Amino acid sequence: MKRSLLSLGGLLLLVAAPFAAPNAYYVHMLTVVLIFAIALMGLDFIIGYVGQISLGHFGLFAIGSYAGGLTAADAGLSLLPALGFAVAVTALFGAVLAFPALKTAGPYFAMVTLAFGSIAVIVINEWTELTGGARGLAVPKPLLGTSVLDGRGFYWFALGVFALAWITVGRIISSRYGRAFEALQSSAIATDSIGISSFGYKVLAFTLSAGFTGLAGGLYAFSELYITPQSFNFELTIVFLLALIVGGRASRPGAFAGALLAVWLPNLLADMTTFRVIAVTTTLTLFVLAVWRSGRGRPDWRVWLPVAITFAVTILSFQLTSMIDQRLTIFGLILLGAITYLPNGIIGTLLAGRTGRAAAIGTVRQAGHALPTTVVGEDGGKALELGDVTVAFGGLTAINSLSVEVEAGTVHGLIGPNGAGKSTLLNVLTGIYRPSKGVVRLRGRQINGVSTVGIARAGVSRTFQNIQLFGQLTALENVLVGRHRSYRTGALDMLLATPRYKREELEQTAVAMALLDLVGLSSLAGENARNLPYGKQRLLEIARALATGSAILLLDEPAAGLNPSEVQELVTILETIKRTGITMVLIEHHMDVVMALSDRVTVLDFGEKIAEGPPQSISADGRVVDAYLGTSLAVA
Amino acid sequence: MLAAKGIVMFELLPQVLVSGVSLGMIYGLVAFGYQLTYVTSKTVNFGQAEALAVGALVGLSLQPILGYWMAIPVVMMFGALYGAAVERIAVRPALRAGTEGWILSTIALGIIMKNVAENIWGKEDLPFPSPLPPVPLSIASAYVMPMEILIVAGALVLMLAIEALNRLTLIGKAFVATADDRDAASLMGISTRAVIAGSFAVSCSSAAYAGILIAPVTLTGASMGLVLVLKGFAAAILGGLTSGVGALVGGLVIGVAEAVTAFYVSTGYKEIPGLVILLIALAFRPEGLFGKPLSKKV
Repeated sequence: MKRSLLSLGGLLLLVAAPFAAPNAYYVHMLTVVLIFAIALMGLDFIIGYVGQISLGHFGLFAIGSYAGGLTAADAGLSLLPALGFAVAVTALFGAVLAFPALKTAGPYFAMVTLAFGSIAVIVINEWTELTGGARGLAVPKPLLGTSVLDGRGFYWFALGVFALAWITVGRIISSRYGRAFEALQSSAIATDSIGISSFGYKVLAFTLSAGFTGLAGGLYAFSELYITPQSFNFELTIVFLLALIVGGRASRPGAFAGALLAVWLPNLLADMTTFRVIAVTTTLTLFVLAVWRSGRGRPDWRVWLPVAITFAVTILSFQLTSMIDQRLTIFGLILLGAITYLPNGIIGTLLAGRTGRAAAIGTVRQAGHALPTTVVGEDGGKALELGDVTVAFGGLTAINSLSVEVEAGTVHGLIGPNGAGKSTLLNVLTGIYRPSKGVVRLRGRQINGVSTVGIARAGVSRTFQNIQLFGQLTALENVLVGRHRSYRTGALDMLLATPRYKREELEQTAVAMALLDLVGLSSLAGENARNLPYGKQRLLEIARALATGSAILLLDEPAAGLNPSEVQELVTILETIKRTGITMVLIEHHMDVVMALSDRVTVLDFGEKIAEGPPQSISADGRVVDAYLGTSLAVA
Repeated sequence: MLAAKGIVMFELLPQVLVSGVSLGMIYGLVAFGYQLTYVTSKTVNFGQAEALAVGALVGLSLQPILGYWMAIPVVMMFGALYGAAVERIAVRPALRAGTEGWILSTIALGIIMKNVAENIWGKEDLPFPSPLPPVPLSIASAYVMPMEILIVAGALVLMLAIEALNRLTLIGKAFVATADDRDAASLMGISTRAVIAGSFAVSCSSAAYAGILIAPVTLTGASMGLVLVLKGFAAAILGGLTSGVGALVGGLVIGVAEAVTAFYVSTGYKEIPGLVILLIALAFRPEGLFGKPLSKKV
C-alpha cells in the first residue's frame, strides 16, 4: 500500500513537472529522461535479470528510432501505430539476435551484441534510399489521432507510455516469468531440469528487452524530430550501461534514477559552477568517510583511492572552463567507482535489506495441502529402464552395457565407489548426456535423445550433487519456480493482473508453503537461498523438485555434507515422500540412508553393475563388500 | 560491356587478396592477443581498441625522434604497461570476486584511455608517415606495397616469437601450464596471478604493435581501434579462442572476406562480413574452427 502511494505521488509529481520547467528545453530534457528510463528498463531484463552484459542496445535503440521515424515520415503514420511498428520490428530483431547471442555467455555475449549493434548502425548509415544515410532523417511532429502534439503534449504522452511500461515491467518481473529469468542467472541446468527451457526463456527475455528498447527508440525519434546514424554510437551504449549500473540493476527505480543521471550528466559537464560544487562536496564526503573507516579498522588504500581520484578531478575542474572534453574520463571513473564500491547501484544500496516479494508469505499459510503429485500410488510397471546402456567420453567408458530397471513406486538405491558412474547415469536419465549405445525408457517410452527439458516435462525431477539453487531468490521463490509449469493462467492474465491470476498466485504460494513445511523450511521461506545453511539448501532442492509434481524423483547424494542429526531428518522426510508413491532413484554414500529407504539396490563399479537386489542381500554380497564397503581386513 | 567489366574485376582479384591478407594479419594479431589472456584467465580486455590506437599514436609522436623502427619497442613497452594496469585495476578484483564485472571495468578503463588520447592528440585522424617507400613492387600478377609485406612479416615475427617463448622458456611453460589448468598450475607452485598479469601485458603489447604496424596504411586517431578489434575478436572466435593458429587463420578469412566485399560490393559495407562471420560462427560453432569443444559438466 505504501509502495503504491509512493508511486502515485511520483507520478503526480511527473505530471506537474512541465509547469515548473522554466522553458521548453527543460520539458524536452524531462521527456528524454522518461525515454531513457524505458530503454533502461528494457536493458535491465538482460543485465539485471538474465545477468548478461549487452553492448548492443544502442543498435536496438537505433532500429526502434528509425522504424518509428520512417513510418511517420514516409507512410504518414500517426504516433501510436508508428510506435507499435517500432516495438514490433525491434522485438523481432531482438528475437533473431537472441539465437547466436544466447548460446553464449560472458565476453562472447558482450561481443556478439556489440557486433550486432555495429551492423545495425552501419546498415542504417549505408542504406541511403531508405534511411537518408548520414544526412539524417527529419521526423514529422507527433500526430496523436488528428492533433499535433507540442512539447508539453508529447511529454505527457511519453509519461503515459512510461507509466504503462513501468506497470508492465513490474508485473512481468514479479510473476513466474520474472522468477524464471532470475533462476536462469543462477543455474540454467537447474531451470532446464524443472522443465523451464533456459534457451526459450532467454529468447523471451531478449525479445522483451528489445521491445522496450525499441519503444524508447520510437519515442526518441519523435522527441528529437531529427535523427542521424551518428547519434547511435558506442558511447550511447556506455551511457546506458553507466546509467543502469549506477542507478541500480534489477530495479525499476534504479532504471529511472539512472536515466536522470544519463540526461543530467552531460549538462552538468558544461555547467562548471555546479560541477565544481559537486566535485568539492564529493571529495569532502569521501574524505570524511575514509577518515571514519580508517579510524575503525586498518587503513586501506582502497578507501583512499577514490578520495585521491575525486580530488584530482576537482583540481582539474578548477583549471578548465568546461569538462565536456573530459566527458569519457568522467563516465569511465563513475563506472569504475560504481562497479567497485556500489555494485548494487544507488537505488539498490538505498533499499538494501528490503525485499518486496516476501510480503505475501504470512497471509497464505493454508494447512492440509497434499503433495502436488500428479501420479500418486502408481503401481506396477517400470518407471525407468536402462537397456544395455554404454556412455563413453573419448576413450573413457564411464558406463559399460548397463541394464537397470526401476519399478514404479519404489525407492531404488544406487551405490558404488567414486567414479563408478553413478552421476553419469543420472545425467543420462536426465538427458544431459546421450548414451553412446543402448536405450533409456521412461514408463515404456524411449527417451534417449530427448532434451533435458523434455524429460523434465515428462515427469522426472532431480536434485544435484553440487547444489544448484537459485541463490538470489528466496526459499519460497525457489519452490515457486518449481511450480512454474503447473500454472493454468496465461501471460495475458498476468499482464492484466486478472482476479483469477491473483487467485492462482496465492494458491501456488500455498502449495509452495506446504512443500516448505514438508521439508521443515517454512520458517525460512523469505530467506534468500544462498543464505541458508548447507543442510537446509539440500532440503530446499528436494522441495523444489517435488514442486514440479513429477512422479519420479532422482536424488544425487542428498545426504552429502549433512551432520548426523540432519541425516536423520532427511531420512524422515524421504520416508514421508516415499509413502506418497513417488518413485525415487537414490544415489548415496551413507549406507544407513540407502539401507533404510531402498526397496532395491544396484551396485556399480567402474561403470558396470556388480550386484543388484534387496538391501539385505547387498550388504552380505562378497563382491560389494570388496569393491565398496571395504574388506573385513580394512574394517579391522 | 558487363563481361568486359567482369574480366577487369577478375584480373584485380590477386590485388584484392593481397590487401585482404595484410589486413587479415592485423586481425590475426589482435585475435592472438585476445587468445593470450583468454586461455590464462577466461577474460579479455574490452579496452583492446585503445591499446591499439594509443600504440599507433605514441608511435606517431616518437617516430620523428627515434625513427619508425626504434619506436616499435617503446610502443610495445607502453602497451605492456597499459595491459598490466588493466589487469591490476579491472581484472584482478573481478577474478578474485568471481564476477563478470571485468567486462564493464575494462570498458571503463578503455574509454578513459581513449579520452586521454583525444585530449593529447586531438579528435581528428592524423596521417602516419610510411617508413617504406610507397612504390608498389610487382610480384606475379599483383602489385604489392612494401608496407603490406612489412605488415605480414611483422605480424608473423611477433606471433612466432611468442610461440617460441612458450615452447622454449620456463616462463613460457608456466604460461602454457596455466592455460591448460589454472588450479593445477597453481598447485605446482606457479604464480598464476603473475602469469595472468603477464598475459595481459603481452596481449596489450601485441595490440599496440598491431597499431603501429597498420598506422602507415591507414589514419591514426583515438577512435581507430574499435572496428579493428571487433573484427579481431571475430577472428579469435572463428579460430577458437584457445588456439594461436586459429587466431591467424580466422584473421586471414575475415581480412580477405572484407577486402572482397569492399572491392566488389561497396566500401561502406566492408565492416559487415567480419561481424556477420562472428554471429554465424557463434550460432553454429561457438568453440571455433580450431578450438576444443565446450563440454558441460554437472
